[in-house]
Amino acid sequence: MKLPELPTEKAFPSPLHHPRVATVIGRWLGVAVTVCFLTGLFSHFQQATPGWLVIPSRPASLYRVTQGLHVLTGIISVPLLLAKLWTVYPKLFAKLPWPPSRKALGAAFERLSIAMLVAAMALELFIGFLNTLQWYPWPFPFKETHYALAWIIVGALLVHLGVKLPLIIANWRRTPADRTPVPEPAESLPPAITGLSRRGLFRTVAGTAALVGVTSLGQSVSAFGPIAVLAPRKPNVGPQGLPVNRTARDAGVAIVAPDWRFTITGPEQLSYSLDELRALPQSRSDLPIACVEGWSQGARWEGIRVKDLLKLCGAPEGSSLRVVSMEKGGFYATSELPPQFAEDPLTLLALRLNGTDLDLDHGFPARIIAPNRPGVLQTKWVHRLEVLT
Amino acid sequence: MTKPPIGQLRSRLSATIAVRTGLAVVGVGVGLWGLGLLLQSLSVDALIRLPLWLAGAVIANDFFLVPLTISVGWMLARWSIGPGHHRTVTTVRTMLLYAGITTLVAIPLLLRQGKGVNPTVLPRNYLRDWLLLEATIVLVGVLVAVVQGRRLTFRRSRASSGDIGGR
Repeated sequence: MKLPELPTEKAFPSPLHHPRVATVIGRWLGVAVTVCFLTGLFSHFQQATPGWLVIPSRPASLYRVTQGLHVLTGIISVPLLLAKLWTVYPKLFAKLPWPPSRKALGAAFERLSIAMLVAAMALELFIGFLNTLQWYPWPFPFKETHYALAWIIVGALLVHLGVKLPLIIANWRRTPADRTPVPEPAESLPPAITGLSRRGLFRTVAGTAALVGVTSLGQSVSAFGPIAVLAPRKPNVGPQGLPVNRTARDAGVAIVAPDWRFTITGPEQLSYSLDELRALPQSRSDLPIACVEGWSQGARWEGIRVKDLLKLCGAPEGSSLRVVSMEKGGFYATSELPPQFAEDPLTLLALRLNGTDLDLDHGFPARIIAPNRPGVLQTKWVHRLEVLT
Repeated sequence: MTKPPIGQLRSRLSATIAVRTGLAVVGVGVGLWGLGLLLQSLSVDALIRLPLWLAGAVIANDFFLVPLTISVGWMLARWSIGPGHHRTVTTVRTMLLYAGITTLVAIPLLLRQGKGVNPTVLPRNYLRDWLLLEATIVLVGVLVAVVQGRRLTFRRSRASSGDIGGR
């Protein structure tokens, strides 16, 4: 018995497997990937700031916007990537030149770069989306893999652009569509006419990208919340109307003892009970919680300005702070507050949220809230601040 | 049309070669940097399993998603040559693609519904919401098909009555 033969490059009749289509969709995907990469890089630097970089504390909602964009461009890349791969699918069955020659070597190198690009992008989008659900069914660490794959994608993409440059230039501009004019009305028409047109394909791809975007945007833009049917988060859900990433139980923080004290160690060491903290001058900040998972929501916080606490303990100007939480283990049991964040008048040791005392899940009795920072660094259950000078 | 002089062509060609080489070299460098990051931060065990997942992503796409799209497209193309079908085929195709993509994105949400790490993760009834979304897509598709069908019939009847020049 003969096995069925593999299809060849010519076996796909649709005129949409055309370099012009690949160029146009590639352009869109290129924009989405670039925005996704740059916003992702910003988020990485927020969490692992290199010595040469100073991240400003304003605009206060910058991280909210960049991380929202990161997740949004990732989600709309799903239909864009699928459309791109569908367009170039016949290339998968193209024969490599044989016998080995310089040309064959070049072709093999190109194939390898494309295999890496496709594999890395498909997996990157997959694990990125599942991370927004906080679901990790794979046997490797998410954060490190997601970050390294991003660089591999950018590298493979640059190689891909270099290889395809002549084709991209040749197809950058509009070319006449390969369409037959529609004849007089008839009862039925051949597939060459009923088939999807190039413009129709672009419209549909843009439409699906817009649809998945609109139905997931609501996790970062509350106005779209009611229709965010494809978003893992919903605004205004949670204790005090605000979602939670890590609950007190997950963090190993139980009931806070009545003799709880907050300390700040600097040139002077100060210690306060909760009532004494409440008696200090209180300030109000309207700041968002903006999570690495892309969801974000604005809230009204009340508490003591960190700037004022620094002054009380006699810390010199330009001091940075170590924030120590009562939570057990985890990467974020302590965080560091660089000087520009510690000095920003919006940065609070918050005691109240949306008009009432913090819920235990939101960091009762006290938490840090600062402008333009990822949620994981807005340390909860704070019981000590250490001035680092 | 006048051709540009040979010298200009040649310099354009060498510029293209320079840009392409530059992209390839920088690309390989950046890619190796990423690979270095992986080697640095992943355990041996994770490094062995990651390629399996990478290959799995390619297989899922190239041997499941794209073939599925192509076979549905092929069936649709066959169906579209039937009498009258050319009027609705575009709408049916668009509807299928919208439903397919939204379903693909919804699958993880449906699988994990009610299994969020805390009550604020995955708080929706995703099954109901997904059904509503698909129903909306189908409803809009049907409306568009009806309106377009009417318009076509209207145009044809006017054309055949000789009122105006037709299409």
